[in-house]
Amino acid sequence: MIETLEIINEGGTPIARRAHIGVVASGNCELLIEPTSEPRARVLIRTSVRGYEAAWRAVIARFFERHPIAARIEIDDFGATPSVVALRLEQALEAAS
Amino acid sequence: MKTRISFAELSARERVRALLDPGTFRELIDPFERMRSPYLAEQRIVAQSDDGVVVARGTLGGENAVIVATDGRYLGGSIGEIGGAKIAGALECAADAWARNERTRVAILFDSGGIRLQEANLGILAVAEICDAIVALRAFTPVIAIVAGRVGVYGGMSIAASLCSASIVSEGARVGLNGPDVVEEEAGLAELDARDRPLVWRATGGRRRHAQGQATRFVTDDVDVIRAALHELAIHATPIAPIAPKIPIDPTLSLADFDRELGRRFS
Amino acid sequence: MISDGARADRWTQRRTRKAERLARAARYVRNGRFAASDAVAVLEAILEPRDRVCVEGNNQKQADFLSRSLALVDPSRIHDLHLLISVLGRPEHIDLFERGIAQRVDFSFSGPQSLRLAQLVADEKVQIGAIHTYLELFARYFVDLTPQIALVTADAADGFGNLYTGANTEETPTIVEATAFRDGIVIAQVNEIRDELPRVDIPGSWIDLVVVADRPYAIEPLFTRDPELIDDVQVLMAMLVIRGVYEKHRIKRLNHGIGFDTAAIELLLPTYGESLGLRGEICTHWALNPHPTLIPAIERGWVESVHCFGGELGMERYVAARSDVFFTGSDGSLRSNRAMCQTAGLYANDCFVGSTLQIDRDANSSTATLGRIAGFGGAPNLGNDPHGRRHPSPTWLAMASGDAEIRRGRKVVVQLVQTFRESGVPTFVERLDAVELARSAKLDLPPVMIYGDDVTHVVTEEGIAYLYKAEGVDDRRAALAAIAGVTPVGMLRDSDRTVALRRSGVVAYPEDLGVRRTEASRSLLAARTMRDLVEWSGGLYEPPARFRSW
Repeated sequence: MIETLEIINEGGTPIARRAHIGVVASGNCELLIEPTSEPRARVLIRTSVRGYEAAWRAVIARFFERHPIAARIEIDDFGATPSVVALRLEQALEAAS
Repeated sequence: MKTRISFAELSARERVRALLDPGTFRELIDPFERMRSPYLAEQRIVAQSDDGVVVARGTLGGENAVIVATDGRYLGGSIGEIGGAKIAGALECAADAWARNERTRVAILFDSGGIRLQEANLGILAVAEICDAIVALRAFTPVIAIVAGRVGVYGGMSIAASLCSASIVSEGARVGLNGPDVVEEEAGLAELDARDRPLVWRATGGRRRHAQGQATRFVTDDVDVIRAALHELAIHATPIAPIAPKIPIDPTLSLADFDRELGRRFS
Repeated sequence: MISDGARADRWTQRRTRKAERLARAARYVRNGRFAASDAVAVLEAILEPRDRVCVEGNNQKQADFLSRSLALVDPSRIHDLHLLISVLGRPEHIDLFERGIAQRVDFSFSGPQSLRLAQLVADEKVQIGAIHTYLELFARYFVDLTPQIALVTADAADGFGNLYTGANTEETPTIVEATAFRDGIVIAQVNEIRDELPRVDIPGSWIDLVVVADRPYAIEPLFTRDPELIDDVQVLMAMLVIRGVYEKHRIKRLNHGIGFDTAAIELLLPTYGESLGLRGEICTHWALNPHPTLIPAIERGWVESVHCFGGELGMERYVAARSDVFFTGSDGSLRSNRAMCQTAGLYANDCFVGSTLQIDRDANSSTATLGRIAGFGGAPNLGNDPHGRRHPSPTWLAMASGDAEIRRGRKVVVQLVQTFRESGVPTFVERLDAVELARSAKLDLPPVMIYGDDVTHVVTEEGIAYLYKAEGVDDRRAALAAIAGVTPVGMLRDSDRTVALRRSGVVAYPEDLGVRRTEASRSLLAARTMRDLVEWSGGLYEPPARFRSW
């Protein structure tokens, strides 16, 4: 089965637009980012690689440290390393700005 | 030196956007609709939000158009229930439009290994529906196949591509029914060494298919060139006659002999 | 009193022994040559148990006919040989130990056979003298590890035994010199005999026997990287290197260790480097194999010279057509030379950039993995700060620290590493696997590729640690942790410390260097496919079959 993770980051500035980047290919991930009416960021991760919850939480936390946004984010992951995920988050945010 | 834009380097979405007239791209059932395959999660595969298929409307040289594309990077561009339905549905809608006298040009960007094995019969049904839709649409308008990605087109989707009115193939693309590994396994190393990459491209690459009369246009990996070829075939061409092979194909020749013969005639 | 004749003989034993050995093989030899079908018999005649035999197992080319023949000698006659070999890379090299033909080995790199070598060690079928870096091994050929027999390979020989080694000269002259001038026996396999050689790379008077091999010598395209496989994280790191290291330190003379990371740097020079106005300011002189990925930079006028360790399959015509840039003979073809290129990389370069698989908190790095004994290759020689250097350059002087009257400059040694490997395993670790490997493989020291105290910069996708600027062990560790991302090592970083380090310039994140992460995309690469490289070269570059997708 697919591992699903939900990570919430309270507060943050709402984003204006939505964006979609990436692809579910080996070592990569797809990312959907959309505005939300909630006063928080909600990140839903679906991944076929189990056991990396700590790394996911750390990468997401660092991203919100740098960019405190409120948004709905979905990540469909096929074994992207934290390096790739961090870059995709930046790319998605830029595409949504 | 580098002024051409590589078509193969673009994502499926970017390819469709690049072919349609600037600013006219409107995606149907886009990733945000989250129409994902319901069958993959239980097989430990993450479903992509567009199921590896992009369907978009826009204009082509000012005329209404529908372009569909498979995403070769997601599960090899393979066709499952959802992606197949998106393609077949788009083609059927185009046929409906023609029935209402609304001209709609059509192109299909094939970058696909064929049927998605994980969805088995649903993939087969989907491809059957796609083939049906192509044939129905051909009564109204040329249906143009473009094979210019890194996967090429194989399996059931190569049959669908062959049913199109005309095709544009690139040098890097391969067109075949069975993949090289399958050919090697079934017919033996002497027939085809799948590791001999130049041979694989010589046997099934765009240049060969065009030389054999199985492809209408042979192009470089260049967005502008492909777009121009598409305009020519989709809009300006009169109904396209069936393609006659430039050389007679003796089905009893081994691949090696055929290759030698082709080399002799086209060197 | 001993007669004069006998006394004189005491000091020329090696010459006497050599003549005796050659006499034993004489019946197979005509005009300095023997037939391929007699190779095993010739080796059995010439060799003796416990001989020191150097087999030309280079990085790229291999004297594989001779090594295959050696593996077929009768172990009851020829056994316990001491093998000297740069790259223990072919299956028959390992067979020598399995069969008891060889017992001891001194080498540098074992890449493809690293697993079997580890098994041999575990089974006590081999004794490793030592693992060296290439130049170090060659150095010992002239001191305490002189080969008694050298089995080498060349493209062609003429009637006088002169050898043409062409683009793939690599180590042949060095091995032959050490052997020939200490009364060793040099046996050369060649692809063909020619009346006239394009040029003489090794004089016939250094060669004892020549054999035309059963097939052309084995050679691998080890330095070709398909641009299609470079991803945007690697592009980001390449941008950081160009901006944060090359531009900052005005690096003109350098070597790139092979890898996709450095291939990305090469492909970014004509685009990103050009946008920064750096052409002519950086990357002008190289100690480097003929990397296909350097073609765009060469074509755009970035490169003044390249000296090569060896050749690269498919690059022959391109190199010959760019003889102003490469070292070529009067015949037009490349002349490579590993020993001289390693020396160039040691003393005449201001910078080394290499990637690694694992790095510890002190910036010691290693590619060693448990269960494999892979060795080093050339990196330790290129990636160290040579204290013997005396000539200054702006880069070298600028790296000097402190105000003391007596001080020295420093070579820029950069380690490039993503925080996580493709498999998801962190690259930053508390303890290198090399430490455990030393124990299990009974090595005297953990096989460290580049020692932390030689490293001046570490670059990850998170940023750059300017270790040469750090003061003390604590600062160095803090700087590394600051760029170690979400690895366990990185998670221990102190955010206040990181802020201070960024302020003092010991650590730089992409934004500190004016690099936008989102700018890092494959579209920045001057060539994105092998086909692009062929086009850049005007059709002169001919990629080997395995790299073709058209």
